[in-house]
Amino acid sequence: MNKLLILLTLAICAAIIFFVPPIKGLGEVAKIIFFHVPTAWVSVIAFFSSAFFAARFLRTFNFSFDKLSERAARLGFIFVLLSTISGAIFSKLTWGAYWNWDPRQTTIFVLILIYGAYLTLRAAVSDERTRAKVSAVYSLLSVLTVPFLVFIIPRMYFSLHPSPVLNSSGRVEMDSIVLVVLIAAVVDATLIFIQLMRREIS
Amino acid sequence: MRLSNFLFEQVAAILRKDFLIGLRRRATFAAMMMFALTAVASLSLSMTGGFVEPKFLAALLWVVIFFAASAGIAGTFDDEAQAGTLPTLKLYAQAQAILFGKMCYVFLSLTMLTLFILPIFLILFNVAVESFLLLSLTILLGLIGIAAAGTLTAAITTSATVKGGLFPILLFPITLPIFLPAITLTELSFTGGAFETSSLIVMAAFDAILILASSILYDYL
Amino acid sequence: MIAFDEVSLSFGRRVLFSNVTLNLRGGKVIGVTGANGAGKSTFLKLAGKVIRPDAGEVRLPDGKTIAALSPEMKVYDTLTARENLSFFAKLRGKSIDLLKLGERVGLDLETFGSVRAENLSTGMRQRLKFAILLSVDADIWLLDEPTANLDDDGREKIFHEVCGAKADKIILLATNDKAEVALCDEIIQLPL
Repeated sequence: MNKLLILLTLAICAAIIFFVPPIKGLGEVAKIIFFHVPTAWVSVIAFFSSAFFAARFLRTFNFSFDKLSERAARLGFIFVLLSTISGAIFSKLTWGAYWNWDPRQTTIFVLILIYGAYLTLRAAVSDERTRAKVSAVYSLLSVLTVPFLVFIIPRMYFSLHPSPVLNSSGRVEMDSIVLVVLIAAVVDATLIFIQLMRREIS
Repeated sequence: MRLSNFLFEQVAAILRKDFLIGLRRRATFAAMMMFALTAVASLSLSMTGGFVEPKFLAALLWVVIFFAASAGIAGTFDDEAQAGTLPTLKLYAQAQAILFGKMCYVFLSLTMLTLFILPIFLILFNVAVESFLLLSLTILLGLIGIAAAGTLTAAITTSATVKGGLFPILLFPITLPIFLPAITLTELSFTGGAFETSSLIVMAAFDAILILASSILYDYL
Repeated sequence: MIAFDEVSLSFGRRVLFSNVTLNLRGGKVIGVTGANGAGKSTFLKLAGKVIRPDAGEVRLPDGKTIAALSPEMKVYDTLTARENLSFFAKLRGKSIDLLKLGERVGLDLETFGSVRAENLSTGMRQRLKFAILLSVDADIWLLDEPTANLDDDGREKIFHEVCGAKADKIILLATNDKAEVALCDEIIQLPL
């Protein structure tokens, strides 16, 4: 499984470097978008998995769910940082500034704050049982804010962010090769996340 | 019906008890009010004479309320835990009564904080409020949200061994969906611009969700 | 009846209880004895469902209320003795004659009622805590060293109340005090 993933990742990297045509006027560095989209995707997936395992823990009081919730949050924190940095670089190339509190930047920044708060809370509680309980409760409380932010923020700020790949009009405005590589990269990142979660358990 | 009536009596008893203790031990109140006053005064002092944009003023007001509230309500449960009264209270009162009694008390102290700091804020920054109704509604909905999220967060931080600064760190991301519309609406109440009722509805809906979630999650703590 | 069903609990490497199954019946005073650190207080907390076991289950009879007395459970320092008492009585919805209740534990509310709990002596505070326990009229009593810090008069009054109440209650008493042990109808000796 590990070898397969490494192979897939290398193949995708090669495809990005050699097959994907350079983005008009932005140069080779702009290909960082193939790194940005998958990491952003995984950080959201990790966030919801952490909350899911937190709920499972509160239902069952099985501490392995607490461990899973923590792993997901730790991995999610790393992915969200990578995604933010790569996003900021892409932003510099396209909009001329690393940061401008675009709705999506705001949302991802809130995600960083929540992950940070969650991990700080875990570090601050010394008793194992209590730590599992309070961090699960906090995880579930914080997950409530995300749908609201996704709903509120875009109404308040003007967005420059490109539409998501699957936008509401249902049209795909991309080269087919770009799209295939991007989807492959997202799948690859998700598999890496799942593999890391599984590895940490055993 | 009898049960809910009984719950209400417990909530009232806890609210009354907390209020009485708050009056006798004024330190928490005083700290919260003085924190707000110091923040407003220092900001106003550093901006004397200059024009400050309404948008910035609105954000400033909520930042002051947030951090003063953090100073005031972080100890909602922890003060009792330190004094050793929390186990007694937990044994004799229903969990939900404790949560809602404390939540009402937190809302009450936040209301007093705002009644104290808002006039000072408006005078020192020379703000002309165009719509008091909108401002009051926004503040009311905002305080309900902070009270709901803050009470559960205070319960969470009670078990932390390292507490310094933990409370605002945990509270801020959760209350952000309240602050963003609250700041916009406050700005509109200063400028008198047209506002969308839907923003108020979003705030009210999020308040309701926070109260419901606190109620459900508190049982697991 | 309080039922312990294969209850296990440990703190770190210290195993306090492993697979404990027992039934605690009402109508008598059940003493819980053992050396320091044997887990007397923890046993009471398990019985009162204040803490949750690692494995197994503690079952309480439906609808029964619990009252407890332990050094860890404090009263409100800034409230007066009377305010403390009426607050806790109100939580359980009981309207009772506080003065008479004070007399039963030897706490004269006419004089001590308006004194803040922080200014009461340790013994007087213990009497106040016992009055609170009586005021809530619970079905299960969990008493952790109830007469520590009390003078002879206080002890006698509390022993009298415990004996008078035991018929329709489940009473657990964690202690190493000889006089308190003598009060018990049954003893559970916890090994270290």
